[in-house]
Amino acid sequence: MSGPTEPSPHQSAQLAAQPSGRTVDPRGPRFAAWVTTAVLVAVLVTGWWPLLAAQAVVFALGAFAGPRHSPYSVLYRVLVAPRLAPTDEREDVAPLRFAQGVGFGFAVVGVLGYASGLVALGVVATAFALAAAFLNAAFGFCLGCEAYLLLNRLSIINKKVGTAR
Amino acid sequence: MTGALVALGTLLLAAAAGLALRARDGRIRVTAAAPSADTGSGNSGSGNSGSVSSEPVSGQPVDKVPEDVRAVLDPAAAVTLVQLSTTFCTPCRHARVVLSDLADRTDGLAHTDIDLTDRPALAAALAVLRTPTTLAVDAHGVELLRVGGVPKRNDLLAALRPHLPA
Repeated sequence: MSGPTEPSPHQSAQLAAQPSGRTVDPRGPRFAAWVTTAVLVAVLVTGWWPLLAAQAVVFALGAFAGPRHSPYSVLYRVLVAPRLAPTDEREDVAPLRFAQGVGFGFAVVGVLGYASGLVALGVVATAFALAAAFLNAAFGFCLGCEAYLLLNRLSIINKKVGTAR
Repeated sequence: MTGALVALGTLLLAAAAGLALRARDGRIRVTAAAPSADTGSGNSGSGNSGSVSSEPVSGQPVDKVPEDVRAVLDPAAAVTLVQLSTTFCTPCRHARVVLSDLADRTDGLAHTDIDLTDRPALAAALAVLRTPTTLAVDAHGVELLRVGGVPKRNDLLAALRPHLPA
């Protein structure tokens, strides 16, 4: 009752008709999470930080421009979606953007670590991002979204940390 | 080499965490202060976690949910399912569909939704760590049970049955 922003199931069926709305095909982010997982494994194995920097740019596009502008999402629409049956299922964009923002934070810390010679820092930050991406890909579990409430609760003490997108 | 081991370890840990989270999803935790006896609905033997202040005096429970939550209870319903959500929560949509449908089809059961996105103080007062979390609150404002994750419809209904009109 108290959610004017939330579309009812009926409304979201209508939203599905206009693809550029505030929702996306949920299989797109899932596909992107698998690609992200593979990229982050490659970063850990090779320790080649420019690849992590590229992933940071992908995260940034997903977080600040929106998931539809992420390169992985474009890849999904061009290569994968045409081979799948269309779906009416839709997923809200807000949680996805938040999660991509969390990934961006870890990726930036990782790049700084690797590039400045603090390899351990780079490895740990990349491992956190990998764990989150893999949980999302394999279980559909959005770590960044779940952590939002925790961050926000901490922000009672630390003034508004978690309320930034 | 180290990197490859870290990658492998991370994936294994994440897989274990994912399986554990999936197993916990939708499990019902009975709040001990509830006046009616635990009906032993399933495997939730662990009881409650906190709120020591209440005494199980018959008919006069002590712990009530915060005023902000009591304000949204449906006065006509025996039990209100109070769903706690945030904007950044995809499963909240699924929970909303399950719960509103259950409330529509069940006498004495209502469903409402509180958005905790900008209300960390209320989330702390309710000791909620993740969304969706659903509280079942009776007409007196006493929390009967809570469910983390998307509730399983039949389990939830079975656990609520003793609190609903026959």
